[in-house]
Amino acid sequence: MRAGPSQEEIRRHNLGALLRHVHLGGPTSRAELTSRMGLNRSTIMALTADLTAAGLVREELPRETGRAGRPSLVVRPESARVYVFALDVGVDRLVAARVGLGGTVLDRRETVRRRGPFVMEEVVGPLAAFARQMHRKTRPDTVCVGAAAAFSGGVAREDGVVRFGPNMDSVDVPFGEEMARRLGLGLPVTVGNDANLGAMAEHTRGVGVGCRDLIYLHGDVGVGGGVIVNGALLGGHQGFGGEVGHMVVNPKGRSCGCGSLGCLEAEVGERALLEAAGRFENHGAQPYNGSNGSNGSGALIGRDAVRAVVDAADRGDIVAQAALGRVGDWLGLGVANLVNIFNPEMVVFGGTLREVYLGSAAQVRSRITTDALPPAREHLRLRTSALGDDATLIGAAELAFAQVLADPLEVLARAGS
Amino acid sequence: MTPVLELRGIDKSFGPVQVLHDVALSVHAGEVTALVGDNGAGKSTLVKCVGGIHPIDSGEYLFEGKPVQVHSPREAAALGIEIVYQDLALCDNLDIVQNMFLGREHKRGIVLDEDTMEEMAAKTLEGLSVRTVKSIRQHVSSLSGGQRQTVAIAKAVLWNSKVVILDEPTAALGVAQTAQVLELVRRLADQGLAVVLISHNMNDVFAVSDRIAALYLGRMAAQVKTSDVTHAQVVELITSGRSGDLGLTNGVPA
Repeated sequence: MRAGPSQEEIRRHNLGALLRHVHLGGPTSRAELTSRMGLNRSTIMALTADLTAAGLVREELPRETGRAGRPSLVVRPESARVYVFALDVGVDRLVAARVGLGGTVLDRRETVRRRGPFVMEEVVGPLAAFARQMHRKTRPDTVCVGAAAAFSGGVAREDGVVRFGPNMDSVDVPFGEEMARRLGLGLPVTVGNDANLGAMAEHTRGVGVGCRDLIYLHGDVGVGGGVIVNGALLGGHQGFGGEVGHMVVNPKGRSCGCGSLGCLEAEVGERALLEAAGRFENHGAQPYNGSNGSNGSGALIGRDAVRAVVDAADRGDIVAQAALGRVGDWLGLGVANLVNIFNPEMVVFGGTLREVYLGSAAQVRSRITTDALPPAREHLRLRTSALGDDATLIGAAELAFAQVLADPLEVLARAGS
Repeated sequence: MTPVLELRGIDKSFGPVQVLHDVALSVHAGEVTALVGDNGAGKSTLVKCVGGIHPIDSGEYLFEGKPVQVHSPREAAALGIEIVYQDLALCDNLDIVQNMFLGREHKRGIVLDEDTMEEMAAKTLEGLSVRTVKSIRQHVSSLSGGQRQTVAIAKAVLWNSKVVILDEPTAALGVAQTAQVLELVRRLADQGLAVVLISHNMNDVFAVSDRIAALYLGRMAAQVKTSDVTHAQVVELITSGRSGDLGLTNGVPA
């Protein structure tokens, strides 16, 4: 039999919990922390003192409260001092950001990624350069406490290796290891599936705050997903869970990058929509010309192209309307299946699916009405992402903060040394 | 749960023309109720009756379960009912704060209390997660269509209103701005307001509504939960007043 947790373990846990409250909830008064965490005032004071001494939070007098009595001190995260690097590897873009404790994006760099097979150097090189540029601009008293990347592909939980990425031809890529080596910060780079991280971001900071059962669908070139069940991300046996984009909805349908037929991704992804709207051009073969959102011939690609279809449909373009209707129908079928299996409280449409959903909601919801079980859909809320295109990046930042929130003082001591 | 706003048996005639026949409508807190119907179905008249612009001929008007009499827009506003019309009624030559407090300015002594108004306006916009506006001292003339809509909606929310009625808020907006306005509409309801959305765009209606009320030739054809109907059924209700078991039978609600 194991003895109960030691005092040291309890203290570490409480420090992490307090830091998490301030990190997610923003500046919070001591009095509020006392009631939210269910600890007594002197404990909160001692924990805050430890975190303040470590430079993770600072205490301030609040602005007028308008109430009688001595005001409770407000605990704020040291956003400008404690930060992480968040990276986002999408099929058609690379983003690096410096995100402060509390979730503030302090600095951000983005570039276009040429579509096509994954080449380690072409991804790691620009991201490492961005990180170096941003690192150089920081003040000497700042401290980096972690780094993490969102990757458009399946990531093994065990070793962080990207095992598959049909839209990038990436198989068995030790991305995190290489990225950590190139960053040279002495910190590991944790890697997560981009849609999984987007789900966590919407759950902790976005539209799904306070919602314990949520499904996030992320559209870019393909369709990714993250399933949150009772507040935790559903990873499955090896961490590949939640790949709803490869749920087969139409067995005789379009061929998918994964080799199957009629995956949700193949029916509602970027290519399906653009082809149905008669706007698809094989830009994979086009040489990269450095501009964002268009290929050599001037036609839009990527998220801009998807938005252009929704725009055209809104202005009355019949072909675009039919294309959106068709895509919306398949999307609704996919969501109906998910609703029947998981009975989520909320389904969030992110990335390009935000516009696709808003432009085809009539089809999507009609499908859900006819195909999902009435009790399972009764209280379902369909929402669009609150974090927009940055949901995956914010998710990566949260992943990078996970360590410091689990054991604040230990991580900080290590980062400071 | 008691509806925030409930109408029963509303009749309204303009001279010999009866525009509303025995209309019932209930609007719930935390929900978006979409009011749909063809041109001339009576949507605008119904909204103007709710807003106190047109007196009703007969019928019951209940607010938070209690019967009330609403004879003027000011009385509707006092109850907590705000209407955002299509033309928005904003003044181009005034800034955002001035517009939001137009006609209801805060005063300190005999001068305007600019600080309080500015703070309240900023807080309201922030509470609605509006980040597209650069400065709240910007003139409204410099704003885009979507931003104007946002300001008009924020103006309606500023007064601790309980019911906000939006008349075609996404008409004439581009896709990016439509998305922002729809998300704002949804957020209002998620924050506990009762929202009535008038729209002709079925995608907008399905994207944000919890209930759909369909008017047909001055009669309420049906009021249904959005999660229980399909696009085709709603279109039938709008165009013919009935769809399967739903809707009017010989001009009488089923």
